[in-house]
Amino acid sequence: MAALYANNYLIVAIFLFLGILLPVGALTFGRLLRPHNPTTVKRETYESGLEPFGSSWVQFNVKYYIFAIMFVIFDVETIFLYPWAVAYDQLGLFALVEMLIFIALLVIGLIYAWKKKVLEWN
Amino acid sequence: MIPASSYLLVALILFCVGLYGALTKRHAIIVLLSIELMFNAVNINLVAFAKYGLFANMTGQIFSLFSITVAAAEAAVGLAILISLYRNRSTVHVDEMDLMKR
Amino acid sequence: MNGDSKWGVLGQYDWSIMAPELTILVFATLLSIIDLLLPKKTDRRIIGVLGLIGVIISLIFTLSNTGTQPASILADMYRLDSFAVAFKAIFLTGVAFAFLMSLGTLDKKDVHYQGEFYYLLLTALLGAMFMASSADLITLFIGLELLSLSSFILVGIRKKHIQSNESAFKYVVIGSISAAVTLYGMSFIYGLTGTTNLYLIAERLGNVYQGGFSYIVYLAFFLMFVGLSFKISAVPNQTWAPDVYQGAPTPVTAFLSVVSKAAGFAIILRIFIIMLSNVIDIDPTTGEMKSLLVDNLGLYIGIVAAASMIIGNTMALRQVNMKRMMAYSGIAQAGYLLVPFATFTVLLFEQTLFYLIAYLFANMGIFAIMALVSKDQGHDEIRGFAGLFQRAPLLAISMTIFLLSLAGIPVTAGFFGKFYIFLSSVARQNYWLAGIMMATSVVSYVYYFGVMKQMFMRTNPNGVNKIKVPPCIGIALVVAVVVTLFAGIFPSQVIDYLHNNFLFENMMQVAEQVVMK
Repeated sequence: MAALYANNYLIVAIFLFLGILLPVGALTFGRLLRPHNPTTVKRETYESGLEPFGSSWVQFNVKYYIFAIMFVIFDVETIFLYPWAVAYDQLGLFALVEMLIFIALLVIGLIYAWKKKVLEWN
Repeated sequence: MIPASSYLLVALILFCVGLYGALTKRHAIIVLLSIELMFNAVNINLVAFAKYGLFANMTGQIFSLFSITVAAAEAAVGLAILISLYRNRSTVHVDEMDLMKR
Repeated sequence: MNGDSKWGVLGQYDWSIMAPELTILVFATLLSIIDLLLPKKTDRRIIGVLGLIGVIISLIFTLSNTGTQPASILADMYRLDSFAVAFKAIFLTGVAFAFLMSLGTLDKKDVHYQGEFYYLLLTALLGAMFMASSADLITLFIGLELLSLSSFILVGIRKKHIQSNESAFKYVVIGSISAAVTLYGMSFIYGLTGTTNLYLIAERLGNVYQGGFSYIVYLAFFLMFVGLSFKISAVPNQTWAPDVYQGAPTPVTAFLSVVSKAAGFAIILRIFIIMLSNVIDIDPTTGEMKSLLVDNLGLYIGIVAAASMIIGNTMALRQVNMKRMMAYSGIAQAGYLLVPFATFTVLLFEQTLFYLIAYLFANMGIFAIMALVSKDQGHDEIRGFAGLFQRAPLLAISMTIFLLSLAGIPVTAGFFGKFYIFLSSVARQNYWLAGIMMATSVVSYVYYFGVMKQMFMRTNPNGVNKIKVPPCIGIALVVAVVVTLFAGIFPSQVIDYLHNNFLFENMMQVAEQVVMK
């Protein structure tokens, strides 16, 4: 058992070593090969081709949060579909009806959000 | 193979970190995140027991599915209430929520 | 079984025993759709009336199950026994009162989302009903969370009201923390027994406890008890109550103080009594056998009860806000209600239920009158009750009856509720608990009489204009007064009725699978 453990830690140590060595090696190698010629344009922060402006600590529009909440709720509800789908053959028609009721309740939730104009941006 | 106690220890640490954060942090979002940590600690516990418990079986995994859903719903409600609080008071700091101290 | 192949195993269950819950579910779903389809201008009270009808139908279904043999479907995930019927009847009555109160006093300007208000009360009720009517940790937890989540939103439903937002957020944070703590405790129980079915847990936990896992059983018990004490607002978890009660709309406060608390007691009694029924502690030196729940944990539950009584009653003395005072009074009442559980006599359920019934009607009456008075005065302070006797003598008299019932003065239900509980602790020779109960009750007279002093001996600075009582509040008050007095004058009838029609022993009895066809 103890030997097994030591073995496990050895693998972790090797991974750690490689994980540190590879980027350090690559960067040092690159540094040795490339010409060194910094200019102002080159020193700018690169952000998808656009020049960054403003502070990175901006306040997000509150609508993002509402979308996020909606997403989280509907996303999480789908986990109940997986066990149902796996056991579908044993459960029979009754479980299908039940799952349809479950989905119908979710659809009511969606209609609620729609009617309350959460799905529109403005 | 890793014994069950390691999983339980991770869960315990995670739970305590979550509890500490939920009780001491100023920022309301971090409080909500800490509560999520506590629920995740429970999930680790349940799944570990589903594999290494005294009577190991699948029920723990099913239980953890329910716990995930409940945690998500709780976070959603908490965030929604926080947004409406923020709209009225412009603060997300827990220590400024003291209107009802007598 | 010819239906076997087509519908599968689930088709063989007798789903009709679930009728009360299904009624509430259907009404909540339909009302949410109706609310979306109704034009904006329509008075949303129609939804409240429909919801009330649903609650009454469900109450009829529930009461028609009185005295039946225990039945269960879905492997005890849903279970119908006397315990469940009694508690569900209490929840449904409490919610019916909350509906009457909201129909009478809810202000369109104050609560903008009236439709949501009514159907969230129904979903909260559904959660409470599952907490009383299940014998599986998963469904019990889901019920608990359905109740919690709905009440989080209900507390914060006054969106423009800062105090309401703030108390809702506090409620969410403390509620979620205690849910996580409860769940953590449940996960250990699952780990030790490999099941979430309470009867299987009971079967296995005894051996596991003997097999050297006693500390984990203790740990799980304390985690679950601390987590669940949030719902009954007992001591380790009572701090939220005053703030949340103050910020919530009055009908929601009434709902929290009665239905939510009763549901907490239902789940506590259900889980711990079944789960720990076979756990026996053997003293290593003398070989004496003791029941873990009754003999060992009873002391801790008694301490929690005593602490709740002391903290609740002393903190209530210095409150000027009526809702905060009722919150602390509720903490003290939770302490009284824990006493039968701590002393564990044969009449445990009868005592608890009698007290809950007395508490339900007294509290609902007080909150209904308070809703009227604070609407009239524009604030919730106790001084708003000044001169109520001159302004509305009937209201003042019924308020007095309710206050006397909560204080435990004779000729009201509350007196006998407290008396039976007191007897239970004397019978078990638990004199310290009985003593604390007596002493704190005397302390509580001070603040209950403080309200009476305002009503009868002060005059209101805002003049003596009459208070108009809407008919639905009138009905609620008449029912509450009648029941409070009836149970106070004929307590033995009520106890006998409970004792003869509700066989609480059958809570322990594993139900035969109810299979149709």
